Parts: sequence; C-alpha cells; structure tokens
Amino acid sequence: MRKVTRRAFAVLLLAAIMVGGMGIYLFRLVRDGGEWASFYANDSVYTQGVLNRGAILDRNGAVLAAAGEGGLTYADDASVRRGCLHVVGDLAGNIGTSILSNCRPELVNYSFFTGTTTEGGTIQLTLDPQISAAAYDALSGKKGAVLVYNYQTGEILCMTSTPGWDPQQGVTFDLDDPDYEGAFINRAISSTFTPGSVFKLVTLAAAIEQIPDLWQQTFTCTGETIIGGQRIVCTGHHGTITVDQALAHSCNVAFGEIARQLGGQTIARYAEAYGLTSPHALSEDIPTAAGSVPAAQSDGDAAWAGIGQYEDLINPYAFLRLMGAIANGGVCVEPVLFAGSKPATEQLMDPSTARTLSEMMSYNVQYEYGAGNYPGLEMHAKTGTAETYGGTHAWFAGFITNPGAPLAFVVLAERAGGGYYVASPIASTVLQKAVAVLGG
Amino acid sequence: MELITALFGETAPALARMSRYILPLVAAVIVARCVGSMLRERYEPETWAYLYLPGNIMVPLRHWECILGRAKSVDGQVNDPSVERLHACLIRDAAGGWKIYNLGRGQTFVNGDLVPAGGAPIQDADVLTMGSAAARFVDLTEEERASLLKYRHAPGRRVRPGATLLLLTVFQILLLLQQLTYNPGAGAGVAIAFGVVAAVQWAYFIVLRASGQTGFEPELLAFFLTSVGMSVAASKTPDDMIKYIILFLTAVSLYVFLCLWIRDLGRVKSVRMYAFIAAVAMLAATRLLATPRNGAYSWIELGGQLTIQPSELVKVLYIYAGAATLDRLFVDRNLIFYIGFSAACVGLLALMGDFGTALVFFVTFLVISFMRSGSFATAFLAVGSAVLAVMVVLSLKPETLSRFAMWGHVWEDIYDKGFQQVRAMSAAASGGLFGQGAGNGWLVDIYAAETDMVFAVVSEELGLITALCCVVSLLAMAGFVVKNASAGRSSYFVIAAAATVSMMMTQMILNVLGTMDILPFTGVTFPFVSVGGSSLLGCWMMLAFVKGCDTRANASFAVMRPERFSGGAGVAGAGDGEEDGWEEDGGYDGQDGDWYDGGYDPRGGRE
Repeated sequence: MRKVTRRAFAVLLLAAIMVGGMGIYLFRLVRDGGEWASFYANDSVYTQGVLNRGAILDRNGAVLAAAGEGGLTYADDASVRRGCLHVVGDLAGNIGTSILSNCRPELVNYSFFTGTTTEGGTIQLTLDPQISAAAYDALSGKKGAVLVYNYQTGEILCMTSTPGWDPQQGVTFDLDDPDYEGAFINRAISSTFTPGSVFKLVTLAAAIEQIPDLWQQTFTCTGETIIGGQRIVCTGHHGTITVDQALAHSCNVAFGEIARQLGGQTIARYAEAYGLTSPHALSEDIPTAAGSVPAAQSDGDAAWAGIGQYEDLINPYAFLRLMGAIANGGVCVEPVLFAGSKPATEQLMDPSTARTLSEMMSYNVQYEYGAGNYPGLEMHAKTGTAETYGGTHAWFAGFITNPGAPLAFVVLAERAGGGYYVASPIASTVLQKAVAVLGG
Repeated sequence: MELITALFGETAPALARMSRYILPLVAAVIVARCVGSMLRERYEPETWAYLYLPGNIMVPLRHWECILGRAKSVDGQVNDPSVERLHACLIRDAAGGWKIYNLGRGQTFVNGDLVPAGGAPIQDADVLTMGSAAARFVDLTEEERASLLKYRHAPGRRVRPGATLLLLTVFQILLLLQQLTYNPGAGAGVAIAFGVVAAVQWAYFIVLRASGQTGFEPELLAFFLTSVGMSVAASKTPDDMIKYIILFLTAVSLYVFLCLWIRDLGRVKSVRMYAFIAAVAMLAATRLLATPRNGAYSWIELGGQLTIQPSELVKVLYIYAGAATLDRLFVDRNLIFYIGFSAACVGLLALMGDFGTALVFFVTFLVISFMRSGSFATAFLAVGSAVLAVMVVLSLKPETLSRFAMWGHVWEDIYDKGFQQVRAMSAAASGGLFGQGAGNGWLVDIYAAETDMVFAVVSEELGLITALCCVVSLLAMAGFVVKNASAGRSSYFVIAAAATVSMMMTQMILNVLGTMDILPFTGVTFPFVSVGGSSLLGCWMMLAFVKGCDTRANASFAVMRPERFSGGAGVAGAGDGEEDGWEEDGGYDGQDGDWYDGGYDPRGGRE
C-alpha cells in the first residue's frame, strides 16, 4: 500500500507538464499578444476585416489616418494623403512597410493587461504634411522618392515615394499598368538604385583618408580615358583640375583615377563602414533594403565602382543617414518616424573627413550648381546621374545648414533624366517649403 | 438586455463594465480559498490495527491493505533474511474483519496453521509467522478507536466552505449580469440556468453540512468550473439552456449516486465485471452506430437535437474497472486481463478515429499501470504500454495528421489548417486579464470553439485570470489527491482518484496547449468547462472518485466514517454525534463477482 500511495506522486508529473506548458503560453502571450490581437479576424477590433479603431497623427497632431466603425478616414488634402501614403499605408495592407501594417498593436491599443478592451491607440509621427505634400507635388508624376530629416533630432519630416495613389479612393488602377510599377513599394526604404555620381562622395571620403598626396594631385580630363583597359567617358572636357574641382564638375576621369588608386576593396570597405550595404531598422522596427557595393577586382571595374556605376546599388534611406552624418560632423543621428522618440547616434565618419566633405559640397553649389537655384537655402549637395538600362536615375543628395532647419535630404527620380536638371529643382522646392514651415 | 435594463435602468452598461473587473478577482478568491483549504487542512492517517514485529516494534496499520515483508517499500518491514521481500498481505474488509494472504514463494502461518491459497482470517492477538520471524496482530478496541477519532481534525474550520460558496454565488450573479448585458440572445433561459446551478450547490451544501460533512473543496471547484462552462454555453446557444440544465441536474445526481455507491468497497468490487463489459460494449456500439464527423466515429445521434459521445462516459467505467485493490495487484491473471481490457478500449477508440480520447486513455493507462505495478508486473505492463501506444498511433486519421503537420506553424496557414487556432489566440489575447465580458466574445461562434478551444473562449470573455483559475482548479484537485493518497484506505480509491485527476489533467493539457499551438491540436474537452452533455456527465461522475479518496475526518460523504464500521457498536467520533443522512447498510455484502480472480478470492479460502 505504501508503494501505491507513494506512486500517486506520478500525477504531479502531468501537473508539471501543464505548468510548463502554461509558462510557454504566457511567455508567448507577453511576446506576441499584440500581434495576435491585431489579427484581422479579431472581430473586437475589426469590422468585417477592417480596423475600427486607432489613429495616425502628423507632427502637428492633425489626423493623417483615423479608423472608426465607418472605415478609415485620411487627411483632407489629397497631396498630403498621397505624400504620406507609403509611411501611413492603407487598410488593405498593400504597403508592407507602412505604419498601418507594422503598428497594428499600437493602433489596436493592445496591452497584456487590458487586451483590446480599451479605446484604440494613436500614433504621432514626425512627418510634416506640408513638406510631404510639396514633395509629392514636386515629383509631379515621376517615379521616385524624397527624404528629408532633421540631422540633429532625427525627425523624418518627409518620406514620399511615387507612384502612389489616393488612399481615400482605394486602389483603382491596374496592377500591370507600367505607370504604377512598384506602387506598393516605398522606394525610400525598400528599393536600391544605381547611385551614379552621388557615390563620388564615398570615394572622395576614402581618398581623403587613404591617399596622402590627394591635395597635391591634379587630374587631366580630355573627355575620356582608359583605365585597366576600360574606357571611362566623362561628361565634358574639364582640362587639368584639382580634387574639389573634380567633385564640382563630377569629373569621371578624375574619380576613375582616384578609384584606381584606392582599389575596389577600399571602396567597398568604405561603403560598408558608412552603412550603405547593410539593412537598417527604421524606428527600430521597419526593415530597410540593403545596398551592395561589391569589391571590384580589376582597375577598370574599380574605376567604374568609384564613380557609382559598376554593380553599385544604394538604398536612398541609407544614403540619407550618410548625408546626415556629413552634416553633423560625422555623427549620424538615426532617423525616427515616431514623435518623441529618442534616436540613437552613431559615429559614422571621421569628423575632419566630414568637415572636408561638407566644405566641398558647399563649393559644388557655389561654383557649379549656382546658389541662386536654392534661394534662402544654405545648400551643400552632390548631383548624380546614374546610367541604367532604360534611362538615367536623377539624384540630388545633401543637406542645408539654415539655422532652425538643419535638414539632410535625398531626392531620387527614377529613370527621369539628370540629377542637376531633374532632381535638384525638386530638392530646392521641397527644402524651401521646409524652411518656410520650420521658420529656419 | 431588456431584462437587465428593466432591473438596473440606465446604469446597466456601467454596472456590467465594472463587473468585468470584479468577476476575475472573485474567481481568483474562490479558487484561492479552495486551494488554501486543501493545503492547510490536515491529512491525518487513520489507524486500523497494530502489528508487533520482532523486537516488539509496534507498527500501526494505516490502510486497509498492508504488505509485510523485507522490502523497504512495504507497510510492515520485517528485517529477517528468512522473510520474502513481499511476504504477506493483510486486508481489512469494510465490516472490520482482517485476512492474511501469502504472497510469493514463502509460507505464512497464523498461530502455527499454514495460510492456504485463499488466505486466512485473523483476529486480535493472533501470531503471524513468516519464515523464522513472528509478528503479533493487535486489533483496536472500541475505546482505542474512539480516542483515536477524537484526535482527528475535520476540515472546514480554517477556510469556511460556506463563505466560499457565497462568493461562488456572487460569481454566478456577475456572469448572469454580463450575459444579460452583452449577449443579445440571453434571456430567461440563461437566468434560469444560473439559478439552477446556484440552487443545486446550496441544496447540496446545506444537506451535507447538516449531516456533518465539512470538506467541500473538490465540489466547490467543480461548481465553479461548471459555472464558467454554463457561461460559455449561454454565449454559444442562449436559446438552448433547458437541455443544459437537465444535463447538469443529471450529472450532479449521478455524482451523488456514485459517491454513495463507492462508500462500500465490496459493492464496488461486486459489479466491476459489469463495468468492464459495459465499457467495451459502449465503445463497440459507438463505432457501429456513430455518425462520422471529421473522420471520427465518436458521436451517436439519438434523433432530434440529442447527440451523445459515449467515450466520455466510458472514461468513468474505465477508471471504475481499472482501479484495483491490493490483493488483486499480485495476480498475473488480473494484470493480463487489465491490459487486455485497456487494449480493447484504446483499440476501439482507434477504430473510431478518436485520437484525442485514445491518447487520454493511454495516459490514464500509464498512470494506473505505474500505480498497480508490483515488482514482477512491470514487464507485463511495459509490453502492454507498447501495444497500446501502437494502437494510439493507429487511431491517427489523415485529418488529424494534417493538423499535426501544422503544429507550431498555425500562423502560416491562417485560412485553412491554422484557421481555428489563430482565431483562438487572437481572441484570447484580446481579452486581456479581465476579459471582454461574458457573452461579449466572437470566438464562440467559430466551429468547435465552445468545446475544443474553450480555454480561449474563457480567456476572451472572462479574461486570462479566470482562465488561469480554471487551470489551477484542476491542478489543485490533483495535488489534493496526492495529499490524500498517503492516508488512503484502499489502493482502489487511491488508484481511482489518481487516474481521475490524471485523465482530467491530460484532457486539460491537450485542450489548452493544443488550442495555443504548443502541442498538436487534438480536439479534446476541458473538464467541466467545455460545453457538452456527455463530457459534463462524465466529469461529475469522475469527481466521485476524487471524493472517494478524501479520508479526512467528516470530509467526504463518499467515504464511510470509521465509527460506522463496528456493526452498530455506536462509538461517536470526532465530537459530533449527529446522524449521517447518507448511511447505507455498511459492511461487506458478500457478493463478489470476480469470477476470473481465482486464487485470491477472499471467500475462496473460508472454511
């Protein structure tokens, strides 16, 4: 009998299994409860599969999108709706990187303690509706992206991607329509593009640190040259020039030679160090696409890689971080989307290198692009015109140092022409708007 | 809703909202009080006789079945090389008569006479000789018995069951309030249902309390769980509550009947054979008559709305027939018969395609086997386990297997295989700690949610706290059985109670962890809470086995009081002399139906 009574303890083994299982469940509930509760079939927060609570606000507290029993209501202004579309997202979940797709638990206002029994939540973003609308309008039907952020506070004021649509109307276009190619993609964070001449900033940074007699060197441009058996074509006949002139003219012959001296390995190493080849997490959560700058083996390939061609691919968001770092003395303040969040910082670049680049980017504007094109803006920038199949990508990237408006920016117009003629005016328009809005 | 507005006017919604926060706290206090009572009350062994071993060592006999021998695990250890490890067995019948049986190869003598194969009766002062060792058997005198009883403590003094019952009534009122507020279909039927549960629990308590019983923890937990289940039923089918009320009344009646029945071990043993036959027959009939659902032949449609799942009732029969007294455990034939019986049950469940229930039976088989197995029985049972395991695997139907394939990946197939579970998890998370309110959930409308995913329904509507209270209730019952086992009278009751809580916990494990994708989803019920008549009947009947092992003084009406055994000698015990309203004709009825149990039939050796 003693044996039988002792063996009754066996039932406690089952109790232990249950306790262990409940432990796993509670752990998962704490970890994933928000995702579970945000599932579209949860009828307590969805009405026939449509979210019925929560709101997304702009930096001024005005509604960008608000969910209710009647569905989702967006901002009143159509350009604001379109300019903020890829950040805000739509209820159908077409834009995978949007706030509506990624922040359901916050909108549902899930908490472990109250579940979804309370009112919906609000998310305040750093986006500025007027700057975003201006960016959308300035892109004027071109495919591309405009990114503007405060390189001191990290606030993203504008992240506009085109083509888009009016979310209030819903998706009315044909998905195969070439005008709407990649409409569901936020080009600012989810795509990579051939950078062209904007990449010369990276090559130049490497050269400043790796080529001791860089400032003593001169380069002779006759319109083209042969490096490692490959013909490098330039945009013009620049004659004998120094490095800063080479950057201002965006001289391919000079940068081809600098790249040859650096070698493909060094260029790739710098691109990696500057965060151009790794994915980032926007506001810690939304993944961005990683660019790629493979180490070119031959002198000819290295020359092309150094001027942003070869197999170089750059993500606009990653390039924005680099522009912010140059503007901020080498320290990158991570861009953030949520109002009030404290951004991380990272020493991305040597401070003296950043200072030199900053001066040279200002020199570009003064002596090549024309300061008059950027009224009221203390512009530092670099153009880029990337050769690709089917057209050239127009880039314009840099920052302004206006007091009260410390803004870094990247403008990309996909297969839309040259950086100076297409992207630069867009940047000028958007930044003038930004300075007006911020009172810089 | 009209009813509640008529009662409370404009304040009704605010009242219901507030009650959502109070309800889980009330649930927690109810369960905490029951658990606290189970933990804090004393579990004192009873003493039935004494044995004076060589060296004048006195050993109190704490059980009705005691083993003597050289092994450490026996009840009376005789340290003598001439004694077998398990030498002899002393068994007390309900009338107070003791018999000794010889085990193994050695010989045992009573006052010099060899104990025959059928055992020999022994009396006070008899000398029992095993090998070269002699022990003296001393029965208790009436005076000793009475004085021992005085020192035993009745439960219910530290944590008053009446107050817990009052809280349970508050819990039911809150459930009803929320149902009437949130559930548009809830009306008079739901109100009557909760009223009946409350009335039954109070009537039960008052009658038993008046007859001197003081231990109520298992029933209180069962009433609590049933109330939660009643709320789920009200959410699912508010118009169909009358059927549920009838089932509930039947369940409690059967429970009371079974409790009274198992007071008499002789009576229990006399009909075990019928339980064997009934169990196998019911499963066989189910396989033949069942209407298949999702590939499983588990439900018999009796016409109209009435559907029964006989396997739920067979669980009771399986435990009833599978538990055994100690004398039977040492007979190979009984063991083989038990394995054959288990194989028949699991085999039939395999034919029915009811994998979940087959698994529940298998785990119960393992627990009973482990507790039954003596030294030489282990080999048989190991073989038996293997055979049954194969049968469990055979019960896997393609439908079940395809669910297995989704195990751990339900979020990857939200439209088909993971359809139910992702919704269960979503709804459960939605409820938070306090719930959306009884009748205010949507999960219950998903197929089989009120049975197979009831944990998620409870989490959604009543909150995680209440859902965890349900889990703790069953865990507490298991702990209660383990504590009581040490003072068990007969191994029959200990095994039956342990098998019961094992079965209930296995079901709970499969139900809860299956719903939440921690284990494969097998579709078994959560005891007492899952909506379903057969399941409710089975659970309440099994509860009788839990009550059957509660030997605390005056704790359980399923256990006969010690002072009743002495054939009307009239010794009042434990300070209260009131009449036991449940008294049956005590004693051995002399009708033993164990025809297959040749060697150790207690009557076989009487001359």
